[in-house]
Formats: sequence, C-alpha cells, structure tokens
Amino acid sequence: MTDVIVAGVGLHPWGKFPHKSWVEMGAEVALEAVKDAGVEWTDVEAMVSGAMQWGGSTGMRSGNTISAALGETGVPIANINNACASGGSLMRAAYAMITSGMHDSVLVIGTDKSPKGYFPSVPVLADEPQPPVDMVRWQVGIPNPAYWALEMRKRMEAYGSTEEHLAKVKVKNSRHGALNPYARYRKEFSLEQVLASPMVCDPLRLLEICATSDGAAAVLLVSDAKARRLGVNPPIKLAACSLASGEFGDPTIRIPLLSAASDDAASAPLLSESRLAAQMAYEQAGLGPEDMDFVELPDNSSWHELQYLETMGFCDEGEAEHLLDKGATTLGGELPVCPSGGFSSFGEATMAQGILQIVEVTWQLRGAAGARQVEGAQKAITEVYGAQANNSACILTT
Amino acid sequence: MNRIPVLEGSFVSEPEPALVGSRCRSCETVAFPASFTCPNPRCMDKDVAPAPLSRTGRLASWTTVHFPPPPPFVAPDPFVPITVVEVEFASEGIQVVGPLTGAGADELRMGMPMETVVEPYYADRDGEVIGWKFRPAEESNDD
Repeated sequence: MTDVIVAGVGLHPWGKFPHKSWVEMGAEVALEAVKDAGVEWTDVEAMVSGAMQWGGSTGMRSGNTISAALGETGVPIANINNACASGGSLMRAAYAMITSGMHDSVLVIGTDKSPKGYFPSVPVLADEPQPPVDMVRWQVGIPNPAYWALEMRKRMEAYGSTEEHLAKVKVKNSRHGALNPYARYRKEFSLEQVLASPMVCDPLRLLEICATSDGAAAVLLVSDAKARRLGVNPPIKLAACSLASGEFGDPTIRIPLLSAASDDAASAPLLSESRLAAQMAYEQAGLGPEDMDFVELPDNSSWHELQYLETMGFCDEGEAEHLLDKGATTLGGELPVCPSGGFSSFGEATMAQGILQIVEVTWQLRGAAGARQVEGAQKAITEVYGAQANNSACILTT
Repeated sequence: MNRIPVLEGSFVSEPEPALVGSRCRSCETVAFPASFTCPNPRCMDKDVAPAPLSRTGRLASWTTVHFPPPPPFVAPDPFVPITVVEVEFASEGIQVVGPLTGAGADELRMGMPMETVVEPYYADRDGEVIGWKFRPAEESNDD
C-alpha cells in the first residue's frame, strides 16, 4: 500500500463574505492547493468535495460546480455530506482512492457558507407518513447546543467541573486564534469577559459555542511515488485516516434524536464513534496518543474540547480539566490543543472544517505556522465531530 | 382549538399520560419514538410492537435554552426560556429528552423522580401543537 502525502494545501480566511460566493471561495482554495503542490489543474486525477446543503442543488454538487468554474477535465468527482464530519469523510475517500492505487492525485475541497445562529432543519418532503425527527426536535425546542449542555451538566455532576473550566477553554483558544491571520475571531478574551457573555444553553455561554461561518479549505493528496516525482519537500505523510459511526447502546443523545440508551444500560462509550475513529487512526498509524506533539480536535463547544481530550485517549475520564488547569493544552504546554485557534476562533463551516484542520497540521509540520508554531512538531492528530454519530480522525507525520 | 400531536403515536393522554415507544418481542430493546424495526444490531428477528414507557423516570440532566429555536417552533415574544430535561427510564434502559413543566430549573436536582405529562408546546395557525413534557413527581417505589 502506497504512502499518502499532502502535496499542497489552500485555505480561505474564515468569516462572513456576503459579497463572495461559496463557488469562488472553493475555486480559490482548490487552485491554491494545486499550485502549492507545483502541479497543473489538468494534473488532478480525481476530486472529492463537500455536498453543501445550504447551497441547494448546486451546493450538493459543489465539486462539479467548482470544476465547471475552473475548467472541466472529465475526472471522477464525488460529492459527500457527513455533517460536521464531512471534511474528515472527504479525506478518507481521497485516502482510499490513493492507497487502493486507483489514483495518484486527489483534490479534496470543502467550501461552505452557513446560516446565522442555530442551524435550522433542511426542507423535507411534506407528504411523508411521519415528520422527520429533525423537525420534531425543533418543535420540542432543542437546538444543537442544548445536546452539548446536557452532557456538560452530567460532567459537572460527575467530576466537579465548573463554569470557569468552560470559560478557560475559550480564553486559551482565543489566545491561539489571535495569532492566526486566517481566523475569523482574532480577539483575546479574558476569563471575566467569557463569563460575562450571554448564557445560551446553560452551562454553555455564547463565547463557549462556535459561531457559524463561511470558509473554504482544500488539500491535494498524492501517492508516495508521485510526491517523489514532484519533489514534494517536506513530504508530510497522511499516516492514518479513519471513519467511524456510532455503536448501538451508546448513551449520547445524538443531534437530532430524542433518546439514547440510559447511562446505566449503556453498552458502548459516550461518543462511541469518536472513540472508535481515534482508536482506528492510532492503530493504522502504529502510534498512540503519547506520540502526538499536538492535536486539532473539534471544539464545537468548550464541552467538546474537555470531552475529546478523553475520547481521543489523552487522559482518563474526568482528567481533562486537570490538563487545562495546569496549562498543558496551551501553546508551549506539553500537548497544545487547537494551536490554530480551533472552531472557537474560526466558526463552523461544516464542509470545510475538517480540511481546515489538515491545512493547519500541514503548515505546523512544515514549520510554517508563524507565531502559533508548535516547536519541533512532527506528529499530530485531527478529529471532527459529526451530527448523528459519524466521525473521522487523521494522523499526519513528517 | 385544534390539538395536533407533535408526533402521531409517540404518547398517550389516557388513561394516564405516557410516552409510547416500541419494544422488540425478541430482544426487548426499547426505542423512542417507536421504530418500525429493532435497532439492536445483534437482533435478527426485529419483531417490534408499540409499547408504553413507564410514566415515571429519574432526572439525568437538564439545560435551559435562552434563545428561541427557529421555525417550525413558534416562540412567544418576549421569549420565555425553555428548560430541556433528560429523563432516564430504568426499566426500559432508555433516556428521553423533553421540556420541563411545573417547576423552575432552580428546583431540579440530579436523580429526582420525573413524571410524563402531555401539554401544549406552542400554537400556530393550524392549532395547538401538543406533546410530552416532564415534571417533578413524588418519590415512589414503583419505578
């Protein structure tokens, strides 16, 4: 099986761009990744692109839309949607195309514009026998952050975590984001400022929940042989790329569901798909959490950051707050978490956020991350968090 | 006013309010809302029938939603925050989310008994949307 190498990356600054289309943003990063690899547009052998639901029919076929804009070459294009785990799922698809020997170069594109505020439900057929559960949960009155808040309350009860811990995560990520020219939010927040922000779904406050953004990112993956022909230097290796879904008996109540196995009856761990995706990635790479120099995890909310430190194997259950308190997760600490600033500083753009993580890790491993550089970084893991239990983790090494 | 169940078959009001899910006759897995099949991957019989859940469960978690949910929810103006609770039904091995009623969030404590009631969620131009809610119950020995 060939190694898979990140030959080129492209990233659009994240924010709100009412005067620029998602097609233009996607085309820009696609071309940037291709040029970064030192190849021509016509050298791309296949494309995978995030099927962007907010963009309607053309958004669902974003890859074809971008290909038509930049010049159609007849290559296979797959458009994929796995909610916030789309980026990771795209990486996995491209990874499989290369390791199988099917293609030598695959372009991965995620471009997205998000509605403001809570993500609404996507229109559905009116004449189905039952309304979809995603409609019902809105009628009951349960926005996405409420699902996260329910888990956080349990955590506070079980481990004595406090509102201050949640705020500290934001303070730390805002400090990282302030160093990143591509981040949407580049303001450093103090603990007092975070704790003074409005409560959204208690105990989660506005500044502790990621915003919904416009953003785009692209990565050109190539086979080892192709990387050598191109003289890719340094050749950043995609050492693992996993994809997992939930296990029966998981006690996590999934967005947009209304029930789950009770905590007592649970036969699978909380966020079983995320735990599985991380384990699969470690096994595939032959590495463990102790080998990682830093991590880009899905800090959709401050609860996520605490929980994923445990889910990804960096500490035991209930120990994440301790890592945070002792400064381990900050730049310069023993395990910097989200040196990019995370989704907390970028906001969610669901098709692109998993690819954003790959771009950040590539720059870090190239030693090109500027003021937020993790000194001597050689190995890192990324993980996303997808609604309805789908998840992907990637490990990159120098 | 026309009363519209939020999800047909997901609860009953008579003789007493209760959630209705499905139970597999073969492996006893309970699902809520009711499913046409059994979600247990190791069960190949998948022989399900509607099944009412216990009326009373225990509080597993809660959160108060301070910003109005988007349509189809019809939020009062000014918005009244909604407390969403997670209630564990031990004999069914399931936890279910729903709005709190009959108490404030400050009266809640983990593990307290909660009972199922049926109440309006909101009214829109077609009528009043009704569904399940949970309220604190007396301690009892039967759950």
